[in-house]
Amino acid sequence: MKVGHYEYLVKHGLSRRSVLKGAASVGALSMMGGITSYASPALADDALRQQILAIPGVGKGSPTDADWQKVGELCLGPTKANVKEGEFKGVELTFMGLNNQNLHNFLFRGFLKSWETYTGAKINWIDLAQADYNPRLQQAIATGTVDFDIVEMGAPFEGDTAGKGLLDEMPDWVKKQIEVDDYVNYLKPPVGTWAGKTYRVNIDGDSHTFAYRKDYFGDGSISGLKEPPTKWSEIATYSAAVKGKKDPLTGQDAVGFLDPLKGWGGFGFYFLEDRATPYVKYPGDPAWLFDPETMKPLVNNPGWVQAIQDVMDNIPNLPADQINADPGTTAFQQFLAGTGSSICWWGDVGSSAKTSDTSVVGDVVGFSINPGTDKVFNRKTNAWENKENFAPNMAYLGWGIYVTNRVSKDELKRKAAWSAAAHLGGKDLSLWTTAYPSGFQPYRNSHFNYDEWAAAGYDKAYIADYLGSQGDSYNHPNAAIEPRIPGIFQYYSVAEDELAKGYAGTYKTAQETADAIAAAWEKITDQIGRDNQIKLYKASLGM
Amino acid sequence: MSEGDLLHVVETDNIGPARRSFGLALIWGSPLVLALVALAQILQTFGGMDFGFENWRPTLYAYVFYAVCLCWGQVLVKGEQGKRILFVLPAALFVVSMTIFPLLFGLIIAFSSWNLSSPDGRQFNGMANLIHMWNDPFYWNALTNMIWYVLAILPEYVVAFALALMLNSEIRARKFFRVAFLMPLMLSPVAVSWMVGKSMMETRFGPLATLAKHLGWSNPTFFSTPWLAKTTIMLMDAWTFIPFMMIMILAGLQAIPKELQEAARVDGATGWRAFWEVTFPLMLPVSITSVLIRLIFKLKLADIVINVTSGGPGGATDTVTSFIFREYRDRSNVGYGTMLAMVYLVIIIVVMTLLMKAADRFMKSSY
Repeated sequence: MKVGHYEYLVKHGLSRRSVLKGAASVGALSMMGGITSYASPALADDALRQQILAIPGVGKGSPTDADWQKVGELCLGPTKANVKEGEFKGVELTFMGLNNQNLHNFLFRGFLKSWETYTGAKINWIDLAQADYNPRLQQAIATGTVDFDIVEMGAPFEGDTAGKGLLDEMPDWVKKQIEVDDYVNYLKPPVGTWAGKTYRVNIDGDSHTFAYRKDYFGDGSISGLKEPPTKWSEIATYSAAVKGKKDPLTGQDAVGFLDPLKGWGGFGFYFLEDRATPYVKYPGDPAWLFDPETMKPLVNNPGWVQAIQDVMDNIPNLPADQINADPGTTAFQQFLAGTGSSICWWGDVGSSAKTSDTSVVGDVVGFSINPGTDKVFNRKTNAWENKENFAPNMAYLGWGIYVTNRVSKDELKRKAAWSAAAHLGGKDLSLWTTAYPSGFQPYRNSHFNYDEWAAAGYDKAYIADYLGSQGDSYNHPNAAIEPRIPGIFQYYSVAEDELAKGYAGTYKTAQETADAIAAAWEKITDQIGRDNQIKLYKASLGM
Repeated sequence: MSEGDLLHVVETDNIGPARRSFGLALIWGSPLVLALVALAQILQTFGGMDFGFENWRPTLYAYVFYAVCLCWGQVLVKGEQGKRILFVLPAALFVVSMTIFPLLFGLIIAFSSWNLSSPDGRQFNGMANLIHMWNDPFYWNALTNMIWYVLAILPEYVVAFALALMLNSEIRARKFFRVAFLMPLMLSPVAVSWMVGKSMMETRFGPLATLAKHLGWSNPTFFSTPWLAKTTIMLMDAWTFIPFMMIMILAGLQAIPKELQEAARVDGATGWRAFWEVTFPLMLPVSITSVLIRLIFKLKLADIVINVTSGGPGGATDTVTSFIFREYRDRSNVGYGTMLAMVYLVIIIVVMTLLMKAADRFMKSSY
């Protein structure tokens, strides 16, 4: 769970009664320890999950290193089933990961403490700030100086690593230990796999969802819509309708949907994708960014051009300085501060709505999957089809744990590395990371058992609304999955530069803007190597 | 040896032929070793021969060996004179290793196609990067922007001179103002970006935006159009660096003998005439130096742009350095990014050399 989610839930999702109720049930369960030890495995599992959800207890402050160690120790059962005590004595592993918000690696250290004690292995840590992560990884790969055995990595980088044969294939016993069948649909293969081989232990999930202001919609609302919009066409209509009116909450100028117009180191392209995917992600066809046979960009086909045009059409409805607003500004300085009434973003926005000091929209925020369209472009027939289409954008695909091929030749070291990765991606441990501040979002179907959250003390109605939009996106049959090809953020970065010219009026039309992006992407593909990109793109799509 | 030289000799040299020969052997033999090791590494890298080298460290070690032998040889061959050389030679060798070698390595990369995501690694691509640069509208746009940014130095100089004159005169709280005017220079440009560009100029609640509203600007935006954004960036950069020019000019003003000003006044020169005929000409050397150093700072302008506008809107505020940053860091395009940096370095060296020559000639012809 992201820190903001936790604070939000604790501050506003819980009543004193629900906290006491959760604590009472957990206390009762712990007193029944003697009984549960004779109960069925399923009951024992449930008891364990309730037990770890009570560490430190919802509403009892942020967890500490002692809590992480305790959770790690309680969740050691699957490791003990596959590894003998002291089996990895003398083995040293190097783990590279992030240190964002003092989470990620800091949690992993605590979780793995008992694992190290039990197995005898020792882990050395490489902690990186988010901004240093990509250059460090790319330079290690390019200069042949990969100096880590286990790496925390986002799925978009699988092309740069698995695609170059730098990762070790996941053994079958790990798949059983981490119960991969429990993963939400979009994180199942081909995500995490290359050429049929599995490399990724999931620890996180990502998707963009639609966050909106409830007070803009309903009978007599300023938008004129009775229900929140579900289509981009409705969003265009209401964004134009509220222009010139006053925001019902702040009294400032009312604004409809917020499009971020400034680049964000490549991440800004995800926000054009939010608009484009329902136009270009044809059901049943996994390709929506490139033609998988030629790597010819699809970004200048009519569907993408329509999405760019939609943004351009919305520019007059946006705040005056929007051309200089990146996605971070749009979400945290505009939407949360009461400027603008809807936005597409990761889970953070909803939770920060009440925890951020500058937020004024906490009581009026609602969630749903990304909006859809009434037409979709079929790239195979090169024609529009008039039918309703939704394609939630699985932006970034979440973090995972991978093992590098440095350990492949040493079977003991290899088993140790995979055991550590499996421990971090374990089913029960992952429940704890989704419920408490960890930097990670839900990614298993079992995480969406709202009764479990309610028993732990969370407000079920809120959880159902908030996590429901994420769960619906994850499991959507037409979810737009990001291609995991080498240099994917290079494509995004150069697209941001060209889009900025289009939005500023340097390019005359959406088509001209899209053509410039396509031309730049062709150059990148040629430089990285077209044949190899085609091969890896197909592999990433499972073709 | 003259008596004057002997005064500084602490030891009488007695260099025998064997010592001399050994010294010469070190001086001439060690570069041979360096050349052979480097050649072997080059052949292994490009010629397909295998000498068992795993990395380029043997060449580095050979260079260190050469440096030590060269220094040692100087003492063996030249005695006391050689020891004097040792005061400078290690530093010279260090500078060479820290500038010449990286420059040569940079040139190799500049003429390569090296995208970190490419499985083929670095590939020599001749003039392709130069041709790409020539046809790259983003690079030319950034260069054009740089011309405007550089021209902004002239008004910055006028303001800096005026502030320096004010601080040089007998005003109240002069010491306070000297420190206060220096404050922006002490701030990191990144802090300036966030404090001023992102907070004070924030359209809805920023104090500068609020002030602008009170002054009648109904919807103040500081980065919404290309020229407005460019001007705002210029102002933020000027605010940061005018104190630098001001302090240099102030130091120059304080070095002017008061008698000259007094003599001008006795001769009947008014304030403006005394400034124009006496102060300004005397300040020309300091002025030229401060403008040239400011020019070097200006040509490196990037941090404010990266943090506030990312080069937008539509590239209107992009600088060469911020463009190279995106090309290198966001796109891992190491070869092309290095070529852009190399070309920019050449442009800077040529422009600075021409300016310094012109300034030198101007000074000589004037005085």
